[in-house]
Amino acid sequence: MNYFLHIIIMINIYVILTVSSNLLIGMTNLLSLGQAAFYGIGAYIAVLCLMILHLPLIPTILLVMIVTALFSLLLALPSLRLKGDYFVLATLGFQLIVFTVLYNWVSLTRGPYGVSGIPAPKLFGFIEISGVLPFLILSSILALFTIWIFYKLINSPFGRVLKGVREDEISVLSIGRSVTNYKIMVFVISSAFIGIAGFLYASYVTYIDPTSFTLDESIFILSALLIGGLGNIKGPVVGSIFVIVLPELLRFVGMPNSIAANMRQIIYGLALLLLMRYRPQGIAGVYKVK
Amino acid sequence: MDNGVILKIDDLTKSFTRNIVNVRGEAENERFNIIDKLDLEIVKGKITALIGGNGAGKTTLFNIISQFVNADSGNIEYYHGDETTSLLKLQPDKIYRKGIGRLFQDNHIFLDMTVTENMLIADDNRFGEKPFLSLFKSKKNNEIEKNRIEKMEGIFIKLFGENNEFWEKRNDLARSLSYGQQRLLGLARIFMSKYKIVLLDEPTAGVNPKIINKICAIIRKMPQKDGLTVLLIEHNMKVVENVADWCCFMSDGKITAVGSSKDVIGNPDVRKTYLGI
Amino acid sequence: MFLQLLINGIIMGSVYSLVSLGFALVYNTTRTFHIAYAVLYMFSPYMFLTFYNNLNIGLFPALLISILLTMILSLIIELFVYKPLEKKNSSSTVIMISSIAVTTIVINVIALFYGNETKILNPNISGSLSLGNIIITYTQLTQFVVSVFLIVLFLLLLKFSSLGLKARAMRDSNLLCNIFGMNIEIFRIVLFALSGFFVAIGGFLIAYDVGMDPYVGMPMLLNAVVALIIGGVGKFEGAVIGGFIIGILQSLAVWMFSSSWESAVTFVLLIIFLIFRPQGILGEKQRKV
Repeated sequence: MNYFLHIIIMINIYVILTVSSNLLIGMTNLLSLGQAAFYGIGAYIAVLCLMILHLPLIPTILLVMIVTALFSLLLALPSLRLKGDYFVLATLGFQLIVFTVLYNWVSLTRGPYGVSGIPAPKLFGFIEISGVLPFLILSSILALFTIWIFYKLINSPFGRVLKGVREDEISVLSIGRSVTNYKIMVFVISSAFIGIAGFLYASYVTYIDPTSFTLDESIFILSALLIGGLGNIKGPVVGSIFVIVLPELLRFVGMPNSIAANMRQIIYGLALLLLMRYRPQGIAGVYKVK
Repeated sequence: MDNGVILKIDDLTKSFTRNIVNVRGEAENERFNIIDKLDLEIVKGKITALIGGNGAGKTTLFNIISQFVNADSGNIEYYHGDETTSLLKLQPDKIYRKGIGRLFQDNHIFLDMTVTENMLIADDNRFGEKPFLSLFKSKKNNEIEKNRIEKMEGIFIKLFGENNEFWEKRNDLARSLSYGQQRLLGLARIFMSKYKIVLLDEPTAGVNPKIINKICAIIRKMPQKDGLTVLLIEHNMKVVENVADWCCFMSDGKITAVGSSKDVIGNPDVRKTYLGI
Repeated sequence: MFLQLLINGIIMGSVYSLVSLGFALVYNTTRTFHIAYAVLYMFSPYMFLTFYNNLNIGLFPALLISILLTMILSLIIELFVYKPLEKKNSSSTVIMISSIAVTTIVINVIALFYGNETKILNPNISGSLSLGNIIITYTQLTQFVVSVFLIVLFLLLLKFSSLGLKARAMRDSNLLCNIFGMNIEIFRIVLFALSGFFVAIGGFLIAYDVGMDPYVGMPMLLNAVVALIIGGVGKFEGAVIGGFIIGILQSLAVWMFSSSWESAVTFVLLIIFLIFRPQGILGEKQRKV
């Protein structure tokens, strides 16, 4: 039973990751390889809040969102003026740098040794959230909250301008909307929520190290999003379920753990190749990657 | 300004580099001035046509006014209300916000969005376009969306008549419209915002005669709306005669003839160089 | 001390230039953002590992096979991934995502067969020669000589054959090339083969020195592309200049901080150039619209 609950918690975390990334990649066509960097920043800031500042649950979440958003501004401001290829490159560089810092600045992050014994977040300062069932509730609430927020954003005049930016930036400029400002807003909002996923991961697993936040992880999140589909809420949710459940199925079929991780990535890589070729809107998305 | 000038272009120069093959058969870069010390005054409230051969630099001039392209030297002064603004070095979206609208040669509407979305996105009321307002003030947001849709309906009726196809097709993708209808949609979109001057780049190119007439009718209506100034690039002389009070002929990067449409089109140099007559 | 760092940087930079040229061969001409290039860099030393260390074939035959296999992989990627997408007129985003997918597949296949740990190709410590206070290992000497040789050869090829003209023509317009009778498909094959050739040698030269793991491709890709950007996109000479600059700056940074901060140097350089001089050192300003 705990096993199934654990799966759902992981799905919730990835729903938050993919629904947020969709705003960037699916609504505004900004391909980014830096999601894992913000995921990691969120996780480590959560550690700071829980272990050093001893903040209760809600201030922790807020602080994680704010700090992750600030970091994303640091990346967004210089790189959003760049055209497609160069923007991806800048996010790649950012991802590599964040990993380098997390891995090598041992005095700050304990580097490759990781941080263990992350304490349970306390709601209102005294209700401890630890163990599978409480985290199932917490992660589901946060996931549903994320879905609600992004659903409203996508289906608002704001979302309409984003669709315009995705379709034709010149046209958007010609009706007096600043494309760059919208890209910055999208980047900051999606990064803030990716930070929440980082908080959930850190406080649930109670141990983090930099190897969970590599470029590989960015590509994994991207795969989940693209396989599920872009442009709506259903796509990212379907994609998250797909990428979390499939490896478990593989395990049932008897694939040894040691090769499972690599096989998983290979399967997703192949799925992506086929999708890009034959079905760019993914399983359940509405936007065909153009 | 009192003499009714809305746009004053002074000594504008823009050069491009192009790759050519020289006499020795080698590849070389040649610098040439697509716009060469151009002077032009656009009078408020009139429809002015800009004519000239292909590659004469007309679209580049529009791109410089909209600041998609930077000029090398010169100035463009924009007189609006009590203010004067130099357009050079402003970002394109600011140019449009100051009241300068644009229709592009290659249309640039959102093909994969619906007709309604195409119109609503161009509304000059931007409520709800900042991310969190739509979350917190959803009642007001819904009201304003309703107003926008009514505004769109009104524009369609005014431009195209009571039972127009645009209102019927309002939830269809713009891609499903014919090319002529897309062009009309691009024009209709301009009416969602309050502009002071609009730049129309070959509005009738590639459309059938029936739509050309519709487009002419729309353009003729424009100055009646708060004295909207129109500057239009056209290759179709019938349209120019039909619609434009004033005409400028551009060649070799300069304006070489200015006057009423009849005069300019009748000018022997213009006829020889451009019309080939 | 400074001179030693400079020499180290120049030598490393020569290999970076070589690798960057391989990327430029594809990007400058076909405008494909060839992210999968990262795995080609890593693939060649792993092939060498298989044939030389594991199957005990002689050094030069093993090297030749590695280079050949890498070139073949490069062609496979072009023919089975990029070409069909180009035919469908797919956007650069779709092509980029497909390139990323290929990267993931190859990295994980290699990791599956060889494991994630760093592998060493040459367990011996290389001898060295000293010029005054400067020490240059024989490995470094090989890196420098081979890289510079290939770079010079390429630049000469560029100047004296039709390669340069064709490359520039392709960048400007595929349609025009077709009209003038240039066979684009065959030319693309030549480009990808040559690109694979350069990166195979570059990958081997560095892996022989410091070893490799399945993930070394990406940081090197960053180096290669940033070298291209710094030097000036669209110009092959730019890639060469950029490679040397990155090599030298990284060498100095490694002394000041530590070797793990190399990527940081490259990234900061990238941001500085993209903000202040996006056309690179040799480039010209481009039209925006």
